Amino acid sequence: MGTQPIVKNRDFNERQIKRIFYRRLGIVTWVSFVAAALQTMIFFAQFDPAYLNEIASITISIGRWQGYALGFVFFWSFTFITGLFCGVVMALPRTRLAQRTTPE
Amino acid sequence: MSTQDTKPVELKLYKAHEKVYPRETKGRFQFKRKLAVFILLGLFYLLPWIDWGSHQAVLFDLPARRFYIFGITLWPQDFIFLALMLIIAAFALFFFTALAGRLWCGFACPQTVWTEVFIWMEQLTEGNRNKRMKLDKGPWNFNKIWRKTAKQFLWITFALWTGFTFVGFFTPIKELAVNVWTWDLGSWEMFWLFFYGLATYGNAGFLREQVCLYMCPYARFQGAMFDKETLIISYDEQRGEPRMRGKTRREAENPGDCIDCTMCVQVCPTGIDIRDGLQYECIACAACIDACDEVMEAVGLPKGLIRYTTENALAGKPSRIIRPRMVTYFIILMLLVSSFGYAFFTRSSIDTNIIPDRNSFYRIVDAQRIENVYNLKIMNKGPKTAQYQVNATGLDGLEVDFETDVGGLSAEPGELISVPIRIRADRIVANKKIHTIKVVVNEVDNPNNISTETVKYFGYNK
Repeated sequence: MGTQPIVKNRDFNERQIKRIFYRRLGIVTWVSFVAAALQTMIFFAQFDPAYLNEIASITISIGRWQGYALGFVFFWSFTFITGLFCGVVMALPRTRLAQRTTPE
Repeated sequence: MSTQDTKPVELKLYKAHEKVYPRETKGRFQFKRKLAVFILLGLFYLLPWIDWGSHQAVLFDLPARRFYIFGITLWPQDFIFLALMLIIAAFALFFFTALAGRLWCGFACPQTVWTEVFIWMEQLTEGNRNKRMKLDKGPWNFNKIWRKTAKQFLWITFALWTGFTFVGFFTPIKELAVNVWTWDLGSWEMFWLFFYGLATYGNAGFLREQVCLYMCPYARFQGAMFDKETLIISYDEQRGEPRMRGKTRREAENPGDCIDCTMCVQVCPTGIDIRDGLQYECIACAACIDACDEVMEAVGLPKGLIRYTTENALAGKPSRIIRPRMVTYFIILMLLVSSFGYAFFTRSSIDTNIIPDRNSFYRIVDAQRIENVYNLKIMNKGPKTAQYQVNATGLDGLEVDFETDVGGLSAEPGELISVPIRIRADRIVANKKIHTIKVVVNEVDNPNNISTETVKYFGYNK
Protein backbone atom coordinates (compact mmCIF):
# COMPACT_ATOMS: atom_id res chain seq x y z
CA MET A 1 0.00 0.00 0.00
CA GLY A 2 2.87 2.38 0.15
CA THR A 3 1.23 4.32 2.97
CA GLN A 4 1.97 1.67 5.55
CA PRO A 5 3.59 3.07 8.68
CA ILE A 6 7.24 2.42 8.99
CA VAL A 7 8.18 -0.22 11.57
CA LYS A 8 11.77 -0.04 12.70
CA ASN A 9 13.13 -2.09 15.57
CA ARG A 10 9.68 -2.80 16.91
CA ASP A 11 9.12 0.93 17.41
CA PHE A 12 6.48 2.83 15.64
CA ASN A 13 7.71 6.03 14.27
CA GLU A 14 5.26 8.44 15.81
CA ARG A 15 6.26 11.23 13.52
CA GLN A 16 5.65 9.10 10.48
CA ILE A 17 2.24 8.09 11.71
CA LYS A 18 1.28 11.68 12.34
CA ARG A 19 2.43 12.65 8.88
CA ILE A 20 0.46 9.87 7.30
CA PHE A 21 -2.63 10.93 9.22
CA TYR A 22 -2.35 14.56 8.16
CA ARG A 23 -1.73 13.54 4.57
CA ARG A 24 -4.83 11.38 4.61
CA LEU A 25 -6.80 14.21 6.16
CA GLY A 26 -5.69 16.53 3.37
CA ILE A 27 -6.50 14.05 0.64
CA VAL A 28 -9.91 13.27 2.12
CA THR A 29 -10.78 16.96 2.47
CA TRP A 30 -9.86 17.70 -1.11
CA VAL A 31 -11.46 14.63 -2.71
CA SER A 32 -14.66 15.01 -0.72
CA PHE A 33 -14.81 18.68 -1.75
CA VAL A 34 -14.76 17.71 -5.42
CA ALA A 35 -17.29 14.92 -4.85
CA ALA A 36 -19.59 17.22 -2.86
CA ALA A 37 -19.46 19.85 -5.60
CA LEU A 38 -20.60 17.27 -8.14
CA GLN A 39 -23.29 15.90 -5.85
CA THR A 40 -24.64 19.39 -5.14
CA MET A 41 -24.82 20.14 -8.85
CA ILE A 42 -26.63 16.93 -9.75
CA PHE A 43 -28.93 16.98 -6.75
CA PHE A 44 -30.09 20.59 -7.00
CA ALA A 45 -30.59 20.33 -10.74
CA GLN A 46 -33.36 17.88 -9.90
CA PHE A 47 -34.71 19.28 -6.63
CA ASP A 48 -35.54 22.86 -5.87
CA PRO A 49 -34.31 23.75 -2.36
CA ALA A 50 -37.19 26.20 -1.93
CA TYR A 51 -39.65 23.38 -2.52
CA LEU A 52 -37.72 20.97 -0.30
CA ASN A 53 -37.89 23.58 2.43
CA GLU A 54 -41.69 23.70 2.12
CA ILE A 55 -42.12 19.97 2.52
CA ALA A 56 -39.33 19.39 5.05
CA SER A 57 -40.26 18.18 8.49
CA ILE A 58 -37.87 20.70 10.05
CA THR A 59 -39.65 24.02 10.27
CA ILE A 60 -37.01 26.53 9.30
CA SER A 61 -37.39 29.06 6.59
CA ILE A 62 -34.49 29.32 4.19
CA GLY A 63 -33.99 30.82 0.76
CA ARG A 64 -32.59 29.06 -2.27
CA TRP A 65 -29.04 30.26 -1.68
CA GLN A 66 -28.97 29.02 1.87
CA GLY A 67 -30.48 25.80 0.57
CA TYR A 68 -27.66 25.30 -1.90
CA ALA A 69 -25.08 26.16 0.74
CA LEU A 70 -26.60 23.83 3.32
CA GLY A 71 -26.80 21.05 0.75
CA PHE A 72 -23.17 21.53 -0.14
CA VAL A 73 -22.07 21.48 3.48
CA PHE A 74 -24.20 18.40 4.06
CA PHE A 75 -22.71 16.54 1.10
CA TRP A 76 -19.20 17.64 1.95
CA SER A 77 -19.38 16.61 5.58
CA PHE A 78 -20.86 13.20 4.85
CA THR A 79 -18.43 12.45 2.03
CA PHE A 80 -15.64 13.66 4.28
CA ILE A 81 -16.70 11.39 7.12
CA THR A 82 -17.02 8.43 4.75
CA GLY A 83 -13.59 9.09 3.29
CA LEU A 84 -11.97 9.60 6.67
CA PHE A 85 -13.52 6.44 8.02
CA CYS A 86 -12.33 4.49 4.95
CA GLY A 87 -8.85 5.85 5.46
CA VAL A 88 -8.77 4.99 9.14
CA VAL A 89 -10.13 1.49 8.65
CA MET A 90 -7.88 0.81 5.66
CA ALA A 91 -4.76 1.39 7.73
CA LEU A 92 -3.65 -1.72 9.51
CA PRO A 93 -4.14 -1.69 13.27
CA ARG A 94 -1.02 -0.67 15.14
CA THR A 95 -0.33 -4.04 16.72
CA ARG A 96 2.62 -6.23 16.00
CA LEU A 97 0.41 -9.09 14.85
CA ALA A 98 -1.28 -6.99 12.19
CA GLN A 99 1.97 -5.45 11.04
CA ARG A 100 3.75 -8.80 10.78
CA THR A 101 5.31 -9.41 7.41
CA THR A 102 5.91 -12.79 5.86
CA PRO A 103 9.23 -14.32 6.86
CA GLU A 104 11.81 -13.79 4.16
CA MET B 1 -2.68 -4.94 -3.51
CA SER B 2 -1.26 -6.95 -0.66
CA THR B 3 0.54 -5.21 2.12
CA GLN B 4 2.67 -8.20 2.84
CA ASP B 5 5.21 -7.92 0.07
CA THR B 6 5.74 -4.18 0.21
CA LYS B 7 8.60 -2.90 2.21
CA PRO B 8 7.82 0.08 4.40
CA VAL B 9 9.07 3.26 2.85
CA GLU B 10 10.02 6.52 4.46
CA LEU B 11 7.17 8.88 3.77
CA LYS B 12 6.89 12.59 4.05
CA LEU B 13 3.77 14.66 4.49
CA TYR B 14 4.66 16.29 1.24
CA LYS B 15 8.00 16.59 -0.39
CA ALA B 16 10.05 19.28 1.33
CA HIS B 17 9.10 21.84 -1.20
CA GLU B 18 11.86 23.42 -3.15
CA LYS B 19 10.54 26.45 -4.92
CA VAL B 20 10.75 26.18 -8.67
CA TYR B 21 11.97 29.31 -10.38
CA PRO B 22 11.04 28.82 -14.00
CA ARG B 23 13.21 30.76 -16.41
CA GLU B 24 11.32 32.75 -19.02
CA THR B 25 11.43 31.43 -22.60
CA LYS B 26 10.38 32.60 -25.99
CA GLY B 27 9.50 30.46 -28.94
CA ARG B 28 6.71 29.08 -31.05
CA PHE B 29 5.15 26.98 -28.29
CA GLN B 30 5.41 29.74 -25.72
CA PHE B 31 3.69 32.03 -28.21
CA LYS B 32 0.84 29.56 -28.49
CA ARG B 33 0.60 29.28 -24.73
CA LYS B 34 0.47 33.02 -24.38
CA LEU B 35 -2.23 33.14 -27.01
CA ALA B 36 -4.20 30.52 -25.06
CA VAL B 37 -3.85 32.62 -21.91
CA PHE B 38 -5.20 35.70 -23.66
CA ILE B 39 -8.11 33.89 -25.28
CA LEU B 40 -9.16 31.89 -22.22
CA LEU B 41 -8.70 34.58 -19.60
CA GLY B 42 -10.08 37.16 -22.01
CA LEU B 43 -13.26 35.11 -22.27
CA PHE B 44 -13.41 34.65 -18.53
CA TYR B 45 -12.95 38.31 -17.63
CA LEU B 46 -14.98 39.86 -20.45
CA LEU B 47 -17.95 37.52 -20.94
CA PRO B 48 -19.89 38.62 -17.85
CA TRP B 49 -19.82 42.22 -19.05
CA ILE B 50 -21.52 41.47 -22.34
CA ASP B 51 -25.29 41.78 -22.55
CA TRP B 52 -27.60 39.76 -24.71
CA GLY B 53 -31.03 41.31 -25.10
CA SER B 54 -32.38 42.16 -21.69
CA HIS B 55 -30.01 39.99 -19.69
CA GLN B 56 -26.34 39.21 -19.24
CA ALA B 57 -25.03 37.04 -22.09
CA VAL B 58 -23.73 34.31 -19.82
CA LEU B 59 -25.45 34.14 -16.46
CA PHE B 60 -25.99 31.12 -14.26
CA ASP B 61 -28.90 32.50 -12.30
CA LEU B 62 -29.10 29.95 -9.50
CA PRO B 63 -31.70 31.73 -7.33
CA ALA B 64 -34.10 31.82 -10.28
CA ARG B 65 -32.98 28.35 -11.37
CA ARG B 66 -32.22 29.27 -14.96
CA PHE B 67 -29.06 29.53 -17.04
CA TYR B 68 -28.65 32.08 -19.80
CA ILE B 69 -26.08 31.25 -22.44
CA PHE B 70 -26.42 33.92 -25.12
CA GLY B 71 -29.80 33.37 -26.75
CA ILE B 72 -30.43 30.09 -24.98
CA THR B 73 -32.24 29.70 -21.68
CA LEU B 74 -31.72 26.46 -19.82
CA TRP B 75 -33.84 25.14 -16.97
CA PRO B 76 -33.26 22.40 -14.44
CA GLN B 77 -35.29 20.17 -16.77
CA ASP B 78 -32.46 20.55 -19.30
CA PHE B 79 -29.94 19.03 -16.94
CA ILE B 80 -29.44 16.16 -19.37
CA PHE B 81 -27.67 18.56 -21.72
CA LEU B 82 -25.22 19.59 -19.05
CA ALA B 83 -24.54 15.96 -18.23
CA LEU B 84 -24.06 15.14 -21.92
CA MET B 85 -21.75 18.09 -22.34
CA LEU B 86 -19.59 16.90 -19.45
CA ILE B 87 -19.40 13.41 -20.98
CA ILE B 88 -18.42 14.96 -24.32
CA ALA B 89 -15.73 16.99 -22.58
CA ALA B 90 -14.39 13.83 -20.94
CA PHE B 91 -14.20 11.99 -24.25
CA ALA B 92 -12.62 14.96 -25.97
CA LEU B 93 -10.00 14.90 -23.23
CA PHE B 94 -9.38 11.18 -23.86
CA PHE B 95 -9.17 11.77 -27.59
CA PHE B 96 -6.69 14.62 -27.43
CA THR B 97 -4.63 12.91 -24.74
CA ALA B 98 -4.26 9.81 -26.90
CA LEU B 99 -3.42 12.00 -29.88
CA ALA B 100 -0.94 14.46 -28.44
CA GLY B 101 -0.49 13.88 -24.73
CA ARG B 102 -1.29 16.44 -22.10
CA LEU B 103 -2.40 19.28 -24.36
CA TRP B 104 -5.01 20.18 -21.77
CA CYS B 105 -2.42 20.58 -19.00
CA GLY B 106 0.02 22.62 -21.02
CA PHE B 107 -2.35 24.99 -22.73
CA ALA B 108 -5.88 25.06 -21.38
CA CYS B 109 -6.01 24.04 -17.73
CA PRO B 110 -7.04 26.99 -15.52
CA GLN B 111 -4.30 26.01 -13.10
CA THR B 112 -1.63 26.43 -15.81
CA VAL B 113 -3.20 29.53 -17.27
CA TRP B 114 -3.48 31.42 -13.98
CA THR B 115 -0.04 30.23 -12.91
CA GLU B 116 1.37 31.72 -16.13
CA VAL B 117 -0.10 35.09 -15.26
CA PHE B 118 1.11 34.93 -11.66
CA ILE B 119 4.63 34.00 -12.78
CA TRP B 120 4.54 36.88 -15.22
CA MET B 121 3.69 39.25 -12.34
CA GLU B 122 6.49 37.73 -10.30
CA GLN B 123 8.93 38.40 -13.13
CA LEU B 124 7.66 41.91 -13.51
CA THR B 125 8.30 42.78 -9.87
CA GLU B 126 11.18 40.52 -8.86
CA GLY B 127 13.05 40.18 -12.12
CA ASN B 128 14.28 37.12 -13.97
CA ARG B 129 15.13 33.69 -12.59
CA ASN B 130 18.57 34.52 -11.21
CA LYS B 131 17.38 37.75 -9.63
CA ARG B 132 14.45 35.99 -8.02
CA MET B 133 16.66 33.28 -6.54
CA LYS B 134 19.11 35.85 -5.25
CA LEU B 135 16.32 37.98 -3.82
CA ASP B 136 14.82 35.04 -1.93
CA LYS B 137 18.18 34.10 -0.45
CA GLY B 138 19.12 37.66 0.41
CA PRO B 139 18.30 39.62 3.54
CA TRP B 140 15.11 41.58 4.05
CA ASN B 141 16.37 44.91 2.87
CA PHE B 142 14.39 47.74 1.33
CA ASN B 143 14.75 46.34 -2.18
CA LYS B 144 13.36 42.97 -1.18
CA ILE B 145 10.52 44.43 0.84
CA TRP B 146 9.20 46.73 -1.82
CA ARG B 147 9.56 44.15 -4.58
CA LYS B 148 7.72 41.55 -2.53
CA THR B 149 5.07 44.08 -1.56
CA ALA B 150 4.57 45.06 -5.17
CA LYS B 151 4.21 41.41 -6.14
CA GLN B 152 1.71 40.72 -3.39
CA PHE B 153 -0.23 43.81 -4.35
CA LEU B 154 -0.48 42.65 -7.97
CA TRP B 155 -1.33 39.10 -6.97
CA ILE B 156 -4.00 40.05 -4.45
CA THR B 157 -5.62 42.61 -6.73
CA PHE B 158 -5.71 40.14 -9.59
CA ALA B 159 -7.01 37.34 -7.35
CA LEU B 160 -9.79 39.54 -5.99
CA TRP B 161 -10.73 40.64 -9.48
CA THR B 162 -10.86 36.96 -10.44
CA GLY B 163 -13.14 36.19 -7.50
CA PHE B 164 -15.34 39.14 -8.42
CA THR B 165 -15.59 37.95 -12.04
CA PHE B 166 -16.38 34.42 -10.90
CA VAL B 167 -19.28 35.62 -8.78
CA GLY B 168 -20.31 37.76 -11.77
CA PHE B 169 -21.20 34.59 -13.64
CA PHE B 170 -23.82 33.80 -11.01
CA THR B 171 -25.22 37.18 -10.16
CA PRO B 172 -25.59 40.10 -12.60
CA ILE B 173 -22.09 41.57 -12.64
CA LYS B 174 -23.12 45.18 -13.06
CA GLU B 175 -25.28 45.09 -9.95
CA LEU B 176 -22.50 43.24 -8.21
CA ALA B 177 -20.01 45.95 -9.13
CA VAL B 178 -22.28 48.56 -7.57
CA ASN B 179 -22.68 46.39 -4.48
CA VAL B 180 -18.94 45.95 -4.16
CA TRP B 181 -18.43 49.68 -4.56
CA THR B 182 -20.96 50.53 -1.86
CA TRP B 183 -19.85 47.53 0.23
CA ASP B 184 -23.33 46.10 0.27
CA LEU B 185 -22.60 42.48 -0.55
CA GLY B 186 -24.82 39.58 0.37
CA SER B 187 -23.18 36.98 2.60
CA TRP B 188 -22.82 34.29 -0.06
CA GLU B 189 -21.51 36.79 -2.62
CA MET B 190 -18.91 37.92 -0.14
CA PHE B 191 -17.99 34.34 0.70
CA TRP B 192 -17.55 33.21 -2.91
CA LEU B 193 -15.71 36.34 -3.95
CA PHE B 194 -13.10 35.84 -1.26
CA PHE B 195 -13.10 32.07 -1.51
CA TYR B 196 -12.44 32.03 -5.24
CA GLY B 197 -9.96 34.86 -4.90
CA LEU B 198 -8.10 33.00 -2.18
CA ALA B 199 -8.14 29.78 -4.21
CA THR B 200 -6.66 31.61 -7.20
CA TYR B 201 -4.04 33.29 -5.04
CA GLY B 202 -3.04 30.07 -3.31
CA ASN B 203 -3.11 27.80 -6.34
CA ALA B 204 -1.44 30.09 -8.85
CA GLY B 205 0.81 31.95 -6.46
CA PHE B 206 2.10 29.25 -4.13
CA LEU B 207 0.95 25.73 -4.88
CA ARG B 208 1.53 25.89 -8.65
CA GLU B 209 3.02 22.60 -9.88
CA GLN B 210 2.10 20.92 -6.58
CA VAL B 211 -1.56 21.05 -7.61
CA CYS B 212 -0.64 19.03 -10.70
CA LEU B 213 1.55 16.65 -8.74
CA TYR B 214 -0.56 15.96 -5.68
CA MET B 215 -4.12 17.15 -6.24
CA CYS B 216 -5.04 16.61 -9.86
CA PRO B 217 -6.82 13.34 -10.64
CA TYR B 218 -6.28 13.73 -14.38
CA ALA B 219 -2.52 13.75 -13.91
CA ARG B 220 -2.80 10.38 -12.22
CA PHE B 221 -4.74 8.58 -14.91
CA GLN B 222 -3.67 10.36 -18.10
CA GLY B 223 -0.96 7.75 -18.61
CA ALA B 224 -3.67 5.19 -19.31
CA MET B 225 -4.57 6.99 -22.54
CA PHE B 226 -1.00 6.98 -23.83
CA ASP B 227 0.38 4.47 -26.28
CA LYS B 228 3.51 4.25 -28.40
CA GLU B 229 1.98 6.47 -31.08
CA THR B 230 1.03 9.32 -28.76
CA LEU B 231 2.82 12.59 -29.40
CA ILE B 232 4.96 13.34 -26.39
CA ILE B 233 7.63 15.85 -25.58
CA SER B 234 10.80 13.88 -25.61
CA TYR B 235 14.54 14.25 -25.55
CA ASP B 236 16.27 12.42 -28.39
CA GLU B 237 18.65 10.34 -26.35
CA GLN B 238 20.35 8.72 -29.33
CA ARG B 239 21.25 12.10 -30.73
CA GLY B 240 21.97 13.85 -27.48
CA GLU B 241 24.11 11.35 -25.59
CA PRO B 242 26.82 11.32 -24.44
CA ARG B 243 26.08 14.82 -23.21
CA MET B 244 29.05 16.92 -22.26
CA ARG B 245 30.20 20.49 -22.18
CA GLY B 246 33.22 22.75 -22.02
CA LYS B 247 36.66 21.24 -22.17
CA THR B 248 35.48 17.65 -22.05
CA ARG B 249 33.33 18.36 -25.05
CA ARG B 250 36.13 19.95 -27.06
CA GLU B 251 38.44 17.07 -26.39
CA ALA B 252 35.90 14.30 -26.86
CA GLU B 253 35.97 12.35 -30.09
CA ASN B 254 32.30 11.90 -30.64
CA PRO B 255 30.19 14.03 -28.30
CA GLY B 256 26.42 13.90 -28.38
CA ASP B 257 24.43 16.94 -29.47
CA CYS B 258 23.39 17.84 -25.94
CA ILE B 259 25.74 20.48 -24.66
CA ASP B 260 24.45 20.03 -21.12
CA CYS B 261 23.52 23.69 -20.71
CA THR B 262 20.56 22.68 -18.47
CA MET B 263 18.34 25.28 -20.10
CA CYS B 264 15.59 22.68 -20.41
CA VAL B 265 15.73 22.13 -16.66
CA GLN B 266 15.78 25.84 -15.83
CA VAL B 267 12.69 26.67 -17.86
CA CYS B 268 10.63 23.75 -16.58
CA PRO B 269 7.72 24.98 -14.44
CA THR B 270 7.53 21.64 -12.61
CA GLY B 271 11.27 21.44 -12.06
CA ILE B 272 12.06 18.17 -13.84
CA ASP B 273 14.78 17.13 -16.26
CA ILE B 274 13.14 16.05 -19.51
CA ARG B 275 16.33 14.22 -20.43
CA ASP B 276 15.41 11.55 -17.88
CA GLY B 277 12.56 10.49 -20.14
CA LEU B 278 8.81 10.99 -20.03
CA GLN B 279 7.73 11.74 -16.49
CA TYR B 280 4.43 11.97 -14.74
CA GLU B 281 5.31 15.49 -13.57
CA CYS B 282 5.61 16.80 -17.15
CA ILE B 283 2.62 18.99 -17.98
CA ALA B 284 3.62 19.23 -21.65
CA CYS B 285 4.07 22.99 -21.68
CA ALA B 286 6.84 22.60 -24.29
CA ALA B 287 9.01 25.27 -22.64
CA CYS B 288 12.00 22.90 -22.90
CA ILE B 289 11.46 22.53 -26.66
CA ASP B 290 11.62 26.28 -27.14
CA ALA B 291 14.63 26.65 -24.85
CA CYS B 292 16.55 23.82 -26.48
CA ASP B 293 15.76 24.98 -30.01
CA GLU B 294 17.17 28.39 -29.18
CA VAL B 295 20.38 26.86 -27.82
CA MET B 296 20.73 24.47 -30.76
CA GLU B 297 20.38 27.38 -33.14
CA ALA B 298 23.03 29.35 -31.26
CA VAL B 299 25.57 26.51 -31.32
CA GLY B 300 24.81 25.65 -34.94
CA LEU B 301 23.29 22.23 -34.42
CA PRO B 302 20.00 21.09 -35.93
CA LYS B 303 16.91 21.95 -33.86
CA GLY B 304 14.63 19.39 -32.32
CA LEU B 305 16.90 17.66 -29.83
CA ILE B 306 13.86 17.96 -27.58
CA ARG B 307 10.72 17.78 -29.68
CA TYR B 308 7.17 16.51 -30.02
CA THR B 309 7.59 12.96 -31.15
CA THR B 310 6.28 9.47 -30.49
CA GLU B 311 7.84 6.56 -28.73
CA ASN B 312 7.80 4.60 -31.97
CA ALA B 313 9.45 7.40 -33.92
CA LEU B 314 12.25 7.61 -31.37
CA ALA B 315 12.80 3.88 -31.76
CA GLY B 316 13.01 4.33 -35.52
CA LYS B 317 9.67 2.71 -36.24
CA PRO B 318 6.94 4.33 -38.34
CA SER B 319 4.22 6.21 -36.42
CA ARG B 320 0.63 6.41 -37.44
CA ILE B 321 -2.10 8.68 -36.25
CA ILE B 322 -5.02 6.52 -37.29
CA ARG B 323 -5.11 3.49 -35.05
CA PRO B 324 -7.87 1.49 -33.33
CA ARG B 325 -7.70 3.56 -30.14
CA MET B 326 -8.04 6.83 -32.01
CA VAL B 327 -10.83 5.51 -34.20
CA THR B 328 -12.77 4.24 -31.20
CA TYR B 329 -12.43 7.49 -29.28
CA PHE B 330 -13.32 9.46 -32.39
CA ILE B 331 -16.44 7.44 -33.19
CA ILE B 332 -17.72 7.66 -29.61
CA LEU B 333 -16.99 11.38 -29.54
CA MET B 334 -18.77 12.00 -32.84
CA LEU B 335 -21.80 9.94 -31.78
CA LEU B 336 -22.04 11.92 -28.57
CA VAL B 337 -21.60 15.27 -30.28
CA SER B 338 -24.16 14.54 -32.97
CA SER B 339 -26.74 13.17 -30.54
CA PHE B 340 -26.19 16.18 -28.32
CA GLY B 341 -26.59 18.53 -31.29
CA TYR B 342 -29.73 16.78 -32.48
CA ALA B 343 -31.32 16.65 -29.04
CA PHE B 344 -30.38 20.22 -28.29
CA PHE B 345 -31.61 21.84 -31.45
CA THR B 346 -34.85 19.87 -31.65
CA ARG B 347 -35.66 20.39 -27.98
CA SER B 348 -39.07 21.75 -27.25
CA SER B 349 -39.57 24.76 -25.04
CA ILE B 350 -42.61 23.04 -23.55
CA ASP B 351 -42.26 20.53 -20.78
CA THR B 352 -45.44 18.60 -20.04
CA ASN B 353 -46.54 16.01 -17.59
CA ILE B 354 -49.97 14.38 -17.49
CA ILE B 355 -51.34 12.31 -14.63
CA PRO B 356 -54.72 10.51 -14.68
CA ASP B 357 -57.13 11.50 -11.96
CA ARG B 358 -56.89 8.80 -9.34
CA ASN B 359 -60.47 9.04 -8.09
CA SER B 360 -62.26 7.46 -11.00
CA PHE B 361 -61.40 5.56 -14.15
CA TYR B 362 -64.02 7.17 -16.29
CA ARG B 363 -67.50 8.56 -16.14
CA ILE B 364 -70.32 8.69 -18.58
CA VAL B 365 -71.68 12.04 -19.62
CA ASP B 366 -74.76 12.77 -21.74
CA ALA B 367 -75.48 9.00 -21.62
CA GLN B 368 -73.43 8.61 -24.77
CA ARG B 369 -69.91 9.78 -24.06
CA ILE B 370 -67.00 8.60 -21.89
CA GLU B 371 -65.02 11.14 -19.95
CA ASN B 372 -61.51 10.68 -18.43
CA VAL B 373 -60.05 13.33 -16.20
CA TYR B 374 -56.34 14.16 -16.01
CA ASN B 375 -54.13 16.69 -14.39
CA LEU B 376 -51.94 18.39 -16.98
CA LYS B 377 -48.80 20.29 -16.05
CA ILE B 378 -47.12 22.58 -18.55
CA MET B 379 -43.85 24.36 -18.00
CA ASN B 380 -42.77 27.18 -20.28
CA LYS B 381 -39.05 26.81 -20.91
CA GLY B 382 -39.09 29.47 -23.60
CA PRO B 383 -37.92 33.06 -23.32
CA LYS B 384 -41.39 34.70 -23.53
CA THR B 385 -44.97 34.22 -22.38
CA ALA B 386 -46.79 31.67 -24.47
CA GLN B 387 -50.36 30.51 -25.11
CA TYR B 388 -50.96 26.80 -25.45
CA GLN B 389 -53.58 24.54 -26.96
CA VAL B 390 -54.21 20.93 -26.11
CA ASN B 391 -55.35 18.17 -28.46
CA ALA B 392 -55.73 14.44 -28.09
CA THR B 393 -55.22 11.79 -30.75
CA GLY B 394 -55.43 8.03 -30.86
CA LEU B 395 -59.22 7.57 -30.93
CA ASP B 396 -61.78 9.03 -33.29
CA GLY B 397 -63.53 12.15 -32.14
CA LEU B 398 -61.57 12.87 -28.95
CA GLU B 399 -62.52 16.16 -27.38
CA VAL B 400 -60.41 18.05 -24.88
CA ASP B 401 -62.05 20.39 -22.44
CA PHE B 402 -60.63 22.46 -19.62
CA GLU B 403 -61.48 25.50 -17.60
CA THR B 404 -59.06 28.10 -16.32
CA ASP B 405 -59.56 31.45 -14.66
CA VAL B 406 -58.17 33.34 -17.62
CA GLY B 407 -59.84 31.22 -20.29
CA GLY B 408 -56.84 29.95 -22.22
CA LEU B 409 -53.64 28.25 -21.18
CA SER B 410 -50.91 30.79 -20.75
CA ALA B 411 -47.57 30.59 -18.99
CA GLU B 412 -44.84 33.08 -18.34
CA PRO B 413 -41.19 32.12 -18.90
CA GLY B 414 -40.27 29.54 -16.31
CA GLU B 415 -43.83 29.23 -15.04
CA LEU B 416 -45.31 25.85 -14.31
CA ILE B 417 -49.08 25.73 -14.74
CA SER B 418 -51.33 22.93 -13.64
CA VAL B 419 -54.80 22.42 -15.08
CA PRO B 420 -57.38 19.63 -14.85
CA ILE B 421 -58.46 18.50 -18.32
CA ARG B 422 -61.34 16.31 -19.40
CA ILE B 423 -61.04 14.16 -22.50
CA ARG B 424 -64.27 12.85 -23.95
CA ALA B 425 -64.92 10.14 -26.53
CA ASP B 426 -67.98 8.43 -27.88
CA ARG B 427 -68.74 5.19 -26.00
CA ILE B 428 -68.98 3.31 -29.30
CA VAL B 429 -65.40 4.29 -30.11
CA ALA B 430 -63.98 3.87 -26.63
CA ASN B 431 -65.23 0.33 -26.29
CA LYS B 432 -62.19 -1.38 -24.80
CA LYS B 433 -61.20 -1.41 -21.20
CA ILE B 434 -57.95 0.46 -21.80
CA HIS B 435 -56.93 2.54 -24.79
CA THR B 436 -53.72 4.42 -25.34
CA ILE B 437 -54.02 8.00 -26.48
CA LYS B 438 -51.62 10.83 -27.07
CA VAL B 439 -52.03 14.27 -25.59
CA VAL B 440 -50.40 16.93 -27.70
CA VAL B 441 -49.60 20.37 -26.30
CA ASN B 442 -48.44 23.02 -28.71
CA GLU B 443 -47.84 26.73 -28.70
CA VAL B 444 -50.58 28.73 -30.39
CA ASP B 445 -48.18 31.13 -32.11
CA ASN B 446 -45.70 28.45 -33.06
CA PRO B 447 -47.47 25.14 -33.78
CA ASN B 448 -44.14 23.40 -34.40
CA ASN B 449 -43.20 23.84 -30.77
CA ILE B 450 -44.80 20.70 -29.54
CA SER B 451 -44.77 18.26 -26.65
CA THR B 452 -46.49 14.89 -26.76
CA GLU B 453 -47.36 12.62 -23.87
CA THR B 454 -48.78 9.12 -24.08
CA VAL B 455 -51.43 8.24 -21.52
CA LYS B 456 -54.00 5.53 -20.76
CA TYR B 457 -57.64 6.11 -21.55
CA PHE B 458 -60.29 4.01 -19.85
CA GLY B 459 -63.22 2.98 -22.02
CA TYR B 460 -66.58 1.27 -21.58
CA ASN B 461 -66.68 -2.41 -22.51
CA LYS B 462 -69.82 -3.74 -20.88
